[in-house]
Amino acid sequence: MRSTPTLAGALVALLALGVVPARAGHRPNNEVLVGGAISLTGQYAEPAGRQVNSIRLWVDDVNARGGLLGHRIALRLLDDKSDIQTSIKLYEKLITEDKVDVLLAPYSSGITEAVANVTERYKMPIVAYGASASPIWEKGRRYIFNIVAVAETFQKGAVHLARQIGVTKLAVIGQDSLFPRQAGKGAKDWAQRLGIDVVLEENYPTKQTDFTALLQKIQASGAEAVISNSYFADAAAQLRQMRELGLNFKLYSSTVGPALPNFAEQLGATAEYVLGFSLWEPLPGVLGYPGMKEYIERYEKRYGEKPNYHAGGAYGALQVTEAALKHVGSFDSEKLRDALATIEVQTVFGRYKVDAKGMNSHEGLTFQILRGQRRVVWPEKWAETKAELPIPEWSRR
Amino acid sequence: MERSEVRSLYLLAVFLACAYTVPFLVGAWAGTVRFDERWLGNLATVVVAGVMQGGVYAMFALGLTLIFGVMRIINAAHGEMVMMGAYLTWVCFFYLGVDPLLSMVLTLPVAFLFGVAVQKLLLNAVVGQPELTALLITFGLGLTMIYTAELIFTTDFRAIPYAPGTVHLTRTIAVGQNKVISFVLAVVISTAVYLFLKLSRLGKAVRATALNAEVAMVCGVDVRRIYLITTGFGAALAAAGGALVSIQFGFNPETGVVYTLQAFAIIVLGGRGNYMGALIGGLMLAVLENLVSLMVPNGTAVVELAAYGLMIFVLLIRPGGLMGVKEG
Repeated sequence: MRSTPTLAGALVALLALGVVPARAGHRPNNEVLVGGAISLTGQYAEPAGRQVNSIRLWVDDVNARGGLLGHRIALRLLDDKSDIQTSIKLYEKLITEDKVDVLLAPYSSGITEAVANVTERYKMPIVAYGASASPIWEKGRRYIFNIVAVAETFQKGAVHLARQIGVTKLAVIGQDSLFPRQAGKGAKDWAQRLGIDVVLEENYPTKQTDFTALLQKIQASGAEAVISNSYFADAAAQLRQMRELGLNFKLYSSTVGPALPNFAEQLGATAEYVLGFSLWEPLPGVLGYPGMKEYIERYEKRYGEKPNYHAGGAYGALQVTEAALKHVGSFDSEKLRDALATIEVQTVFGRYKVDAKGMNSHEGLTFQILRGQRRVVWPEKWAETKAELPIPEWSRR
Repeated sequence: MERSEVRSLYLLAVFLACAYTVPFLVGAWAGTVRFDERWLGNLATVVVAGVMQGGVYAMFALGLTLIFGVMRIINAAHGEMVMMGAYLTWVCFFYLGVDPLLSMVLTLPVAFLFGVAVQKLLLNAVVGQPELTALLITFGLGLTMIYTAELIFTTDFRAIPYAPGTVHLTRTIAVGQNKVISFVLAVVISTAVYLFLKLSRLGKAVRATALNAEVAMVCGVDVRRIYLITTGFGAALAAAGGALVSIQFGFNPETGVVYTLQAFAIIVLGGRGNYMGALIGGLMLAVLENLVSLMVPNGTAVVELAAYGLMIFVLLIRPGGLMGVKEG
């Protein structure tokens, strides 16, 4: 590993002095370096930016509490520009040149999948908060853990709601990348289980802006409802063009877009009745996780808006990392890995306890945008209101 | 016409007939093609949307082909100029409250001046140099524009909510209002530019420079000035494309790259430096993309494959593009 004899000597000396035996002891000013590369710019900047908010909040929270194992956190956040190749390079640099003590995860399943190869090689554990595609955890990797729900469950609520309103034909569309494809696979499985016919399955390139032909194809297929495994720009474009073309569906559900606060703001009336999935909502009264209320208050005070699930997940994952480090009592990555694989932590985001593959069994919720607000409509135990479905036709809105 | 020329035209016609039949055959095999009234409505909608889209593509491709024709410079920053036009329109709309179409009166001169500045500061140095030099310098310009836009506007997607209504052409064919408006304007602007090049004195000088800069110079054309005007026009056409794109689709600083590729494919397809070629190329590309998307199973994912496949095959048959002349 990277510990040199001198460092080992220093550690022994530190031990003798009764100081926590942390590898971070060699940092100037008794600091511990926490670092990662995340999408500060590019197509993922919107959700990733909210995670960055939580990361900064957590760093300040921990430093105010006296730091990580007594070490003040120095944060190093690099920008992967929403690009897989850039991210790989940056993680190599963070681990080998910057020698970070604790690694932060990137955003998006595609980038996390690529970065996991790097972290695995250097045996550096990470708790992912921006990746939901289960194949990442099906390759026997030992150093990557997950706090969020897997992509396959994102459309579970929407498909159930479609069943409730008697939809028999469903179209499943999505961006042609790892996470949307997995979400689509999950939606198809749920549709099959509930006896709904998937009449159209289609992926589109990541930079697609014109959905006219695809929307016509959906209509031609006879689908009554659309399950769209989409991010922000694509979901927004689909809805706008549905309205322009006067195409009516009983239900439209998107995976990521509607969960972002400015989705409803930007689209206005066009976003009404849309279903979205959320891994978490800032509703302490409904979810009741410990520390949730205080976290939401601190976040809102600092950033002027309530955290969304991207932010909540990142904060939860960092709480897990902090708890695991406390459990281990050092920055030894092998021990940290073992702790992350076994501990159970209650976070603001919910319970963390991973299975043998490293995946958490987190439960998400489905909401509907109603009068500009996200209202939880599924599962029933958390539902704030009843879903208003089928969606009224454009001409009657 | 030479015999080989005639043969290549026949070959091209056969190939194009095949290319546009393939989606139907695949669709018929996969069961997505039905010849009932509703499906024909879907088909017609898609073709109409393709033509409208193609018109807008063709307009900004016209800018690219103009610059190439006159200076043999491939402007790799063309898509970024489209993006700049979209942002200018956005700023006018949200901060000055100007109607997106009216704002062209403001944004097009700005883009023209931007083009002139680019010509003066960057391109004048590389006219007549190997094509790669100009490609690299405009590529660099494009990157600079992307990052500048990211600094100012962040990477958030922007959109201009404009004319969101529906135009019912028939009972089954519906098009977005913004698409119709964009198409009409694209046709008007393209025609104006075409007539300008064909009829006006200055336009004739531009065409003369494109044909042979040295001879034009000997005949008293101020070639340097023509270069400035050409790039100015190219940038203005791109910015006009940006304005028309901005009222239809979301955009962020990185969307320009897509438009560069699209415009490039169109002019290669249509014939570099050929104005009618840009129009035909634009329509052909957009309609084929929509047909593939509508009929081929999971076709939307392979739209780019079809588009660039079309480009490659046309080039194999006619290296100069559809309307291109043999380069010698």
